[in-house]
Amino acid sequence: MIAEKRISLARIEKINADSIDDSLKAGAYNGLKKALTMNPEEMIEKFEKSGLRGRGGAGFPTGLKQKFTRSSCLDCEKYIICNADEGEPGTFKDRVIMERDPHMLIEGMIIAAYVIGASRGFIYIRGEYQRSIEVLQKAIEDSNKNGFLGENVLGSGFNFNLELRLGAGSYLCGEELTLLESLEGKRGYPRIKPPFPAQKGLWESPTLINNVETFSHLPAILNEGLDWYTSLGTEESKGTKIFTITGRVQKPGFYEMEMGCTLRELLFDIAGGMKDGYEFKGALLGGAAGTFVDESFLDIPLAYETLKARGATLGSGAILVLDQETDMPSLLHNLMDFFKHESCGKCVPCRVGTTMLTEMAAKLKNEPELIHKMTKEAHYMAETSLCPLGQSPILPLKSYREYYS
Amino acid sequence: MDKKQVSISIDGKTIKAKEGSNLLQVARDNGINIPGLCYHKKLSPTGACRLCVCKIDGMPGLTMSCTVAVKDGMKVIAFDEEIENNRKHTLDYLLAEHNEEFDGAYRDEMKELVEHYGLDKPENRQFSPIWESLNYPKDDSSPVLSYDATKCIKCFRCIKACEEVQGKNILSFAERGITKYIVAGFGIWSESECDGCGECVQLCPTGAIVEKPHREEIKIEKPDKKVITSCPYCGVGCQIELHVQDGRIMRSTGVEGVSPNDGRLCVKGRFGLDFVHSPERLTTPLIKKNGVFEEATWEEALQLIAEKFTGIKDKYGSKALAGYSSAKVSNEDNYIFQKFIRLAFENNNVDYCTRLCHASTVTAMLKSIGDGAGSNSIEDFETTDCLFVTGNNIIETHPITATYVKRGYQRGQKIIVVDPRWTPLVKYATVWLQPRLGTDVAILNGLMHIIIRENWIDKEFIEKRVDGGMQAFETLKELVANYSPEETERITTVPASKLFEAAKIYANAPTAMIATGMGMSQATVGTNNVFSLLNMCFITGQIGRERCGINPPRGQNNVQGATDVGASPVNYPGYIPVGNDENRRRMAKLWNVDYEKLDPKPGLSTVEIMQAVHHGDVKALYIMGENPVVTDPNQNHTIEALENIDFLVVQDIFHTETTKYAHVILPASSFAEKNGTVVNSDRRVLRLRKAVELPGLAREDWRIILDIATHMGVNLGEYSVSEEIFKEIAEAVPIMHGISYERIEKHGIQWPCPEKDHPGTPTLFLEKFNTPNGKAKLFPVEHIEQKERASAEFPLIMNSGRLLFQYHSATMSRKNDTLNAFANESYVLINPEDADRYDIKEGEMVHIESARGSLKTKARIVDEVAPGELFMPWHFSEAPVNALTRDELDPMSKIAPFKYSAVNINKVL
Ligand SMILES: Cc1cc2nc3c(=O)[nH]c(=O)nc-3n(C[C@H](O)[C@H](O)[C@H](O)COP(=O)(O)O)c2cc1C
Ligand code: SF4
Ligand code: SF4
Ligand code: SF4
Ligand code: FES
Repeated sequence: MIAEKRISLARIEKINADSIDDSLKAGAYNGLKKALTMNPEEMIEKFEKSGLRGRGGAGFPTGLKQKFTRSSCLDCEKYIICNADEGEPGTFKDRVIMERDPHMLIEGMIIAAYVIGASRGFIYIRGEYQRSIEVLQKAIEDSNKNGFLGENVLGSGFNFNLELRLGAGSYLCGEELTLLESLEGKRGYPRIKPPFPAQKGLWESPTLINNVETFSHLPAILNEGLDWYTSLGTEESKGTKIFTITGRVQKPGFYEMEMGCTLRELLFDIAGGMKDGYEFKGALLGGAAGTFVDESFLDIPLAYETLKARGATLGSGAILVLDQETDMPSLLHNLMDFFKHESCGKCVPCRVGTTMLTEMAAKLKNEPELIHKMTKEAHYMAETSLCPLGQSPILPLKSYREYYS
Repeated sequence: MDKKQVSISIDGKTIKAKEGSNLLQVARDNGINIPGLCYHKKLSPTGACRLCVCKIDGMPGLTMSCTVAVKDGMKVIAFDEEIENNRKHTLDYLLAEHNEEFDGAYRDEMKELVEHYGLDKPENRQFSPIWESLNYPKDDSSPVLSYDATKCIKCFRCIKACEEVQGKNILSFAERGITKYIVAGFGIWSESECDGCGECVQLCPTGAIVEKPHREEIKIEKPDKKVITSCPYCGVGCQIELHVQDGRIMRSTGVEGVSPNDGRLCVKGRFGLDFVHSPERLTTPLIKKNGVFEEATWEEALQLIAEKFTGIKDKYGSKALAGYSSAKVSNEDNYIFQKFIRLAFENNNVDYCTRLCHASTVTAMLKSIGDGAGSNSIEDFETTDCLFVTGNNIIETHPITATYVKRGYQRGQKIIVVDPRWTPLVKYATVWLQPRLGTDVAILNGLMHIIIRENWIDKEFIEKRVDGGMQAFETLKELVANYSPEETERITTVPASKLFEAAKIYANAPTAMIATGMGMSQATVGTNNVFSLLNMCFITGQIGRERCGINPPRGQNNVQGATDVGASPVNYPGYIPVGNDENRRRMAKLWNVDYEKLDPKPGLSTVEIMQAVHHGDVKALYIMGENPVVTDPNQNHTIEALENIDFLVVQDIFHTETTKYAHVILPASSFAEKNGTVVNSDRRVLRLRKAVELPGLAREDWRIILDIATHMGVNLGEYSVSEEIFKEIAEAVPIMHGISYERIEKHGIQWPCPEKDHPGTPTLFLEKFNTPNGKAKLFPVEHIEQKERASAEFPLIMNSGRLLFQYHSATMSRKNDTLNAFANESYVLINPEDADRYDIKEGEMVHIESARGSLKTKARIVDEVAPGELFMPWHFSEAPVNALTRDELDPMSKIAPFKYSAVNINKVL
């Protein structure tokens, strides 16, 4: 039977998150120590070869992003930002890492900073994550005291300061360009792309932005080696991924799995199967900006390429399990209402479109054929909107139309 | 560095453009009209409306052209079926959230697009309106504009207009998503810091923000005359477009793409023009009979005037006549006026209120650099590295010049403010030096002391371009040696560390400009103040290059022009001294008169004229467009003089405090009723164009003057239109030789412009100074304590100045309800310490008294003024600051100390 495979969550049960000594004993910062003996270019190559892709949702190759940011300019100021805004409904994996093994994240960030040549970093954290904030605050202090942060990290001559910044409380602020605006103290409206953060990010400087989980993979790759890491997962999806499962299963919660496990394995072997009296009908993968799937997905490996081949996404790893009693039209209505609520209103297609979609979704129960019109509008929105938020409703809508109408 | 020229193609058309320029703008400049409502060429791109979609080779999907920088070889499709359908879809969306009810009060860019795409026909639309259910608010609280969120398309243009163009940052969105709407400040427009400039109105593409005045009357669809002319208020010379309907000015908008304002206006230029149609306008000649004014015909009035002027001249000699010309009328009017004085009065007794503003500045500048005008262009206020602003409340008095300053600030310009009083510019200042009133020379000498000690001087400049070179410098060095930072601090109260910082910034900036104002000039040591400023400029070499120099922004719209064309007791048109024989011959030839007819003796200056009236030496006075009772110092003295004068003619557009004393009042023309030219603060000759008819029997000023001359039997020349006068001005004035109406049809030209093909001169003194030997002259000066001092009887010092919302003696500005809604009440600023000492509470009426006179006003307690000092705006005739001032003059320039009067203050019981 399949079991969890933990990388970013490897230590959570072994340590007291508030104790750096605990963490050190369990191997924290060993990756960093290794990193400081290596040259950054070499390491970037390693991360590229590892096949690690961004865990924030978009799955962009992490090593490539590091390379772009590093080579954007050699001597200028660069920044590194951890996206810990975790706003995707049903997602709470980052919180687990931050609350239970903050040094995993901090170590990952220091390694990445060293790799790209940044001397300042920020963790942009969701304001509601009170406990995470406290834990991280203390961890950063401890890390500073132990010489992992600050001037001359471990005597290497490399300087790196890390600060916590509280998020502005909107889903959109998790979008990286909006996050930059928010960090600069401006209103949470997305920036125009290009330039990309790797070229011009925070205060116009090259900036690397990664998700909490993404950073947390870096120490292990250095510690355990490429061969080990690339042996995990599938052809195009290496390593592990944390899934957060909600819905009527026996044991909802978070599970870190080797990539490529199937939905069936995850739900039935790991999460204990459906609650009594409930029948698996499908799932919403990846949160609001995710895709609906049906029973036919149960044996498809959960990996970027396999899901993509069937028009689905992994997203942030949130899985909402659907059963025979799930009120599908009203679920869809909730999703549309979420987008409407989170639309910043800057651009017309999303601002007006999300409102119209919500209105139509409200009528969907009685007028199921509206789904076609909704998909059409969402398609126009995806083509024309300014930022990914307005481009997202098409994902749940199209898959809903395919499997639930 | 100039950007590379590259070649791109749009819809198959090859287009040359600068690399990196905005694709949407490039397309539009080349006649490819890509739609787009959130883009405006004055603003940074926003990418909100999504109407400017295009396809670009190599980029996936659709791209917004307003967010694309042009690259060589770029292939763009701007119009195809898919793109057009997408645009139509977006517009359809916009219509759903948009209240189309058209209130006729604006140009609706959106409506034009809606019609273009056929969406004005309901059958072509896909979506039904949703805006009604969204509960959008309205804000009608501002005196000049109103906002209706149901019409707002949330394009950000107003926000950026306020922030990026006007540097104010007052607007933002409240809420998010579809329910968001614009708010000013914390939510109520009238309680925000909005000062009513209306930039947001001008750039709003729909009717969401519209002008409030005339909303009910204006009919946009009616053929509507639009006339471009120059704003009648301050010396920035903003170009405005007047929208005329039924012979009335309905609206004024800024002219885009034209200097000096590039579409920007302040509240006065946009909302302060109702005075033109005020029922209080003078519409008929009035003759005083038995102490009462009676309506008269022009013939009666002209005959009486001719008779009196001639009679007094015959009886007392030509010295008994004098005239006040005006900074509010055109060059043509001023030129004819001075010609009249010189040929009909046969003396040089012509002057105007410049004597009261910048005479000292001009005197000092003429002596040391040979020109009294500003060295730079208004645009340079944005691009210079350092701006030294002294005695100049530039944000309120030259609001549009200040927009350039604020934009400079956003780009990192260093700003040094020297002012005894807090002004809004202090918010933008790198350093603010707050010297005690009347210690300007000391502070400047102190700054030079530091500059010399630290060796921040520009030796090469001194050697090459300063008269006497290092030797002359030595004299200055010796003099300022006594102004150590400690000594300077003792005199001025400004901490030595701040002096050091300011000196360092100014002297070491790659380029630095000075803006000097009436705080410097209106003093008994006004000329010395400006000499010191110039000395500092010379030893640091911060003049004679682009974006370096000294600028005295001019108060009224034509202060510069009036002097340029000869409204001066010492100069003929073009700064040609009257005392010189050769000059007289030249003038006489041009005017076709005997050379003996021209009086070789310089005439009396403004305040001297009034003193001569008081003495009884001048018996007849002809005042055109001035209000000396309010504007001259020592009001009681002025009134006494005018009460006893034999004959006073006042030509104006309104009754003023001065017309009361006239024997004849002549109804004249406002700026909107005449053709002509004015010269603004950066020496730009700009057109005035007739937009509306004269009210009643009123006449153009120059025609009135000619009529008086004719009735006196004097021929001033034959002119049928103002352009003929300007041709003569161009002949008489060498620096305007190359300028004609034709050349300034669209864009003004900055003098000197000596030839027909000369492009004009944006920066003065690039090669040489305008002095006889081409070099700048140092005039080292010592600080002198004021004669007037605070005493036991008069323990406080009264300063005075202007506000954004009123103008000069307020004859024009106070005839506008809009401007009055912002500020229509006199007050005095008093420091909390003094308020305590004299037991004065906020808002209480106080009685203020000097050795000359007294007034009553309201107290406002703020720390914007230092202890021991008071400040009053001087616009309000019911509390005339000039009742307090004295007419002791600066010996060199004859300017009076309007900003330094010892007074006492008591609450009115
Ligand atoms: C509306 C929106 C919200 C997002 N919220 C988050 C978030 O909360 N956390 C996150 O890591 N990424 C979020 N993303 C993705 C980020 O934009 C970005 O892709 C990510 O931080 C990159 O990190 P990665 O490469 O490590 O995945 C969001 C994207 C969108 C469009
Ligand atoms: S797509 Fe939506 S969230 Fe993104 S900019 Fe447009 S309105 Fe804002
Ligand atoms: S009128 Fe001017 S100051 Fe007022 S909000 Fe509009 S742009 Fe800003
Ligand atoms: S008020 Fe006008 S300019 Fe401002 S956002 Fe609305 S439509 Fe645009
Ligand atoms: S003009 Fe380009 S998005 Fe509005």
